[in-house]
Amino acid sequence: MSISVFEAARPVFTGLLVAVMVIVGAFVGHWAHGAWLNDHTPVQPIEFSHEVHAGENEIPCQYCHAWADRSATAGVPSVETCVGCHKGLSEVRGQPEIEKLFGYWERGEGIPWVKVHDTPDFVHFRHKPHIRAGVECQTCHGPVEEMARVTRRIDLNQDLRMPWCIDCHTEEQVANGRDCLTCHY
Amino acid sequence: MSKITDKLREYRVDGYYTEFDYHWTMTVDLDRCTGCEACVVACQAENNLPIVGEKRMRQGREMKWIRVERYWDGDYPNARLNFIPMLCQQCDQAPCEIACPVFATYHNQDGLNAQVYNRCIGTRTCAVYCPYEVRFFNWFTYTWDEPLEQQLNPDVTVREKGVMEKCTFCIQRINRAKDAARDEDRRVGDGEAQPACAQACPTDAIVFGDRNDPDSAVSQKMQDPRAYEVLKELNTAPSVIYLKNARAPLHAEKDEGHHREEAAEAHAAAGEPRWADSGKAAS
Repeated sequence: MSISVFEAARPVFTGLLVAVMVIVGAFVGHWAHGAWLNDHTPVQPIEFSHEVHAGENEIPCQYCHAWADRSATAGVPSVETCVGCHKGLSEVRGQPEIEKLFGYWERGEGIPWVKVHDTPDFVHFRHKPHIRAGVECQTCHGPVEEMARVTRRIDLNQDLRMPWCIDCHTEEQVANGRDCLTCHY
Repeated sequence: MSKITDKLREYRVDGYYTEFDYHWTMTVDLDRCTGCEACVVACQAENNLPIVGEKRMRQGREMKWIRVERYWDGDYPNARLNFIPMLCQQCDQAPCEIACPVFATYHNQDGLNAQVYNRCIGTRTCAVYCPYEVRFFNWFTYTWDEPLEQQLNPDVTVREKGVMEKCTFCIQRINRAKDAARDEDRRVGDGEAQPACAQACPTDAIVFGDRNDPDSAVSQKMQDPRAYEVLKELNTAPSVIYLKNARAPLHAEKDEGHHREEAAEAHAAAGEPRWADSGKAAS
């Protein structure tokens, strides 16, 4: 006498089907979240182009993100910094995006930039040690000087995931680089 | 007692580290502690601890990384109050580290008992294993009303529901001190890294520093004969050392009190100072 697997599974068949669907659904959902639903390239209040500024005009990164080598955050420039240059640039003055900038300037408001490279709250990334160790900005942020709108969708670092951090810390033999408390506290 | 603890020490298993890079240690001078709870408030502000409210407090779901325990001694009016600030002892032989199934708590190279929030799955085993009862579980995601969220410390994670948390010896401040020291290519000096409780203590009862540095204030304090470790018999090798003069409990002194008064009167009658040897006065 033999027992069929299918016969044995018949009482729990519905449950098994639901379980399989849930597992498959979780995989599909995870992939869809990574591929479509996650906004890797957020729309900014002003169509600011790094391609023009950092690429064509070759402005150094730390001219605007001036706090990168002395603080945890690189910082976004104040409206004053933008206007400081653009006051003298009469040839681009009439463009609608530039007019938006001067709108913020005249109203005395900050520009509500959307953060692109955002780490979770439990990750305390600090720019200062990385800049002082000579890491290029492009190592983590990708070729920003070629981006019209900044994206974090670059194959290079797989969206700034932790194994990628650990790999670099291991290769460069960072002191206590693999200790959790270096970043997570 | 010390014989037992010495015997127990022989059974200690050597840890992963043969020696610590820094060995952060805290000494708490209980003879100086006035029980003002400034350390509790400072910790609450520094480490984004939520105010859980009266109801949760009654349910035993308080969130205080450091608490001042009170021990009454004797009966009114002949009573005395003893304080002991209790915080994570950062044990070198920590029971909680053995307990965690996902290694969310582990020992790092600075002698710190680390708690990794993003690795914690909330089994709460570590809190059961902890003999000092200094681990706290987030039963809820606590929120801060406007504008109180403005005072949150950006250097410290705001914990979510389902993770364990505990005193970190203010690791954000230690990291900041190390960062500043690395820029100047030197080791962290004594007193540069100060946890919030040590900074807030008005009587300097709490001293924090590196035990590996023999000249640090903490190393000096540890030489004090008053030094002891809480629950030393559990063999946990804590990094928080308490200093306290041993005093006989008050109820034992009750009868003795009369003797003292009699002795004092005898001193006065003999024209001797009050602190003269009582044995001589009796003879």
